[in-house]
Amino acid sequence: MKEEQLNTLREQDKNLRDAIRMDEAELPQMPADLNARLMQRMAQEPRKARTRTIWPWIAAACVAGVMMIWLTPPKEQMPTVAMQTPSQQTPSPTLPLNGKEEVSAEVSKVEEPVVAKVEKKEVPQRTPRAKKVQDTQKTLTLQAADVCNDLAAVQEQEESTPLPSGEGQKGGAVVTLTEHDIPITRPENYKYTPEELALMRKQANEAYLKWVQLELEISKYNLEQTAQK
Amino acid sequence: MQCFGGTQRIYKQKTIKKMIETDIDLIEGLRKQSPKAQQQMLDRYGRDVFAQVVRLVPGIENAEEVYQDVFVKVFKYINRYDEGKSSLKTWISRIAYNEAISYLRHQRPTMVYIEDREGEADTISEAEVEETLGRANAETVQIIRAALKHLPPDERAIITMFYYEEMSLKEIAYVTESIPTTVASKLSRTRKKLCRIINMLRS
Repeated sequence: MKEEQLNTLREQDKNLRDAIRMDEAELPQMPADLNARLMQRMAQEPRKARTRTIWPWIAAACVAGVMMIWLTPPKEQMPTVAMQTPSQQTPSPTLPLNGKEEVSAEVSKVEEPVVAKVEKKEVPQRTPRAKKVQDTQKTLTLQAADVCNDLAAVQEQEESTPLPSGEGQKGGAVVTLTEHDIPITRPENYKYTPEELALMRKQANEAYLKWVQLELEISKYNLEQTAQK
Repeated sequence: MQCFGGTQRIYKQKTIKKMIETDIDLIEGLRKQSPKAQQQMLDRYGRDVFAQVVRLVPGIENAEEVYQDVFVKVFKYINRYDEGKSSLKTWISRIAYNEAISYLRHQRPTMVYIEDREGEADTISEAEVEETLGRANAETVQIIRAALKHLPPDERAIITMFYYEEMSLKEIAYVTESIPTTVASKLSRTRKKLCRIINMLRS
């Protein structure tokens, strides 16, 4: 049946139209608060949507974390020089002359492991970072050699003079300098020796006597001048 | 009478045009999930949708539930609405129809309908149908109302959309996810079926 025919029938079927219209009029009315309830329900919906949008990001972050843990090499395989702190890797290049002993004391602690590590890391590395590390290692070895020479000189000096703590009695195989060995920091050097004190007292007395003599000469001169006037 | 009908149609067309223009703003608001636009939509189409749902779903509580589900879907899937395929009202009607039919399928409320499995309605002549449904008669109107209650929900929905809401075959086909020729043949068959039910009720 064509649409035009059906449209004609729609106009003709008056009883049917009236019947449907009556039925529609008797349908239950929409509750007044239905839309308000629906809006309330809609207001609660975005919370669900937010959780739905967040959970993929949380999952992605977890996966990234696991990947990082999986791909990071264990500590034993990590380059030893890279693990050192910058203060250990690069000692201060300019040092005062009287601070050599200090440097030797500090470097003696670091020296042995650094030399050992340099010997270990003989594998050629082509990356720029590896080159940098190698350069640092070279400078460290050179500095270590210098420090060794200084150390030998200090050792000889200490062998000639008795050590206060008796460390030289160990046989001289291993010389470990501590802060105590540096003269400037020795507590006994903070005080004057009795000889020094006696000398100072003697000099003070002499200076006092000379000052009294000078005062007497001045007063004599003044008396002579007044007598002449 | 014809002249009055023509004027009424022109007025209706103008109203529809105006509604479509305002629908564009409404759709924009709905796409931005604006609560104001949602409220506006409920005010504009809420009553029609509720009437459509309550026509199909027995019980006001059930109808309220389906009504809410319809609008939740409308607000959720507004981005899927294609202005080129249908008007906003027809699109909402489609969702409401599907939701109501889906509810009836799942809930299976105890309803008794007359099914014409043996095709007895086809034996009734067109003249007889026209006389029963067309000639103005108060008694017949009451019998038709009783007969309408014996129709299955999908057939009753099609009859209402065609006769009461004055929707075109294309629009009904869009709402029922069918094709216009199928809707036309369904309408014709339902008319004859109604006539048979009326005859049964009379006898």
